[in-house]
Amino acid sequence: MSDDYLWDKTGQPDPEIQQLEEILGTLRYQPKPLDVPRDLVVRRRRSYIPLLAIAASLLLALLAGGIWLRLRTHSDIPPQQALMETPKPEPPRTKSAPNPPVVVANNIKHRHRSASSAARDSEALEAKEQLLLALRVTTEKLSLVQKKTQIRNQHKVG
Amino acid sequence: MIKPTLIFLLIITAGMVARAQDSRLQMSSLDHLAAKASQTVDVSLDERLTRLAARVLSDKDADEKAVKKLIEGIKGIYVKSFEFDADGQYVAADVEAIRSQLRGPGWTRLVNVTSKKEGNVEVYTLFNGDQIGGLAVLVAEDRELTIVNIVGPVDLDKLAKLEGQFGVPDLGIEQKKKNDEK
Repeated sequence: MSDDYLWDKTGQPDPEIQQLEEILGTLRYQPKPLDVPRDLVVRRRRSYIPLLAIAASLLLALLAGGIWLRLRTHSDIPPQQALMETPKPEPPRTKSAPNPPVVVANNIKHRHRSASSAARDSEALEAKEQLLLALRVTTEKLSLVQKKTQIRNQHKVG
Repeated sequence: MIKPTLIFLLIITAGMVARAQDSRLQMSSLDHLAAKASQTVDVSLDERLTRLAARVLSDKDADEKAVKKLIEGIKGIYVKSFEFDADGQYVAADVEAIRSQLRGPGWTRLVNVTSKKEGNVEVYTLFNGDQIGGLAVLVAEDRELTIVNIVGPVDLDKLAKLEGQFGVPDLGIEQKKKNDEK
């Protein structure tokens, strides 16, 4: 056997090689069209990314809207004045009339409560004044509308 | 399946939020007029403050009781009124900024009186279905600009009952309503 046969299939072939070629030749690549079975179902993977993006955008828009509304509502509320209580100087303690600490604590609590309720009351009264002012302006303007409507109707009749 | 439902719910919620804000007019564009005005009334009462005010309205006083009934369910009252010492302190664009909002869906113009000498007065109502969801009054005179915006279900019956008590005039709204129904 010459080495050329193994290299470029020239020269004298070796019978052993020929036998091997015959055996392995059945496994050689043979071109043929792709045979796709007809009952094969192709499943496409659905992408949820666009839907998620839309949902996230809507959620963000809602959040932003909520924050904006909250901020706007806060800015609409007239500034409140905190009630400042100047602490009174404690009288000098005497042995005959000691100040029990429990009573002092209750007083502080009560003072806080009364201060906050006073602030709320003052806010409510201010809101009432604002409401009455708004209604006064509203009724005044509606009265003006009525007058003008009447004048116009009189002109039409005349 | 869950995700499309979630998106649908989000859209519905956004729609409801937008609808709830429908009858509130944006009047901040008029704030610059305060510097030119000789007198300014600026009332901004949201739902919380309206309820707070209602709490201190007396049930014994007939007038206050009537007001209390009127503001039941109201979500806000906003008034901006400017009085000027001279003509031409505000421009048409200032009024248009409000009027354009009143051209939106739901708003109906009940009254419109136009006068070259005395300016314009307009009354609008916002209908959410059959119910009134808001009221707006726009008065634009030479030396005055007033916008009143009531947000929420304005009960015209209660408003009619207030007529005379607080100087609320009889607009004939009820009659108009009844005539329309006929």
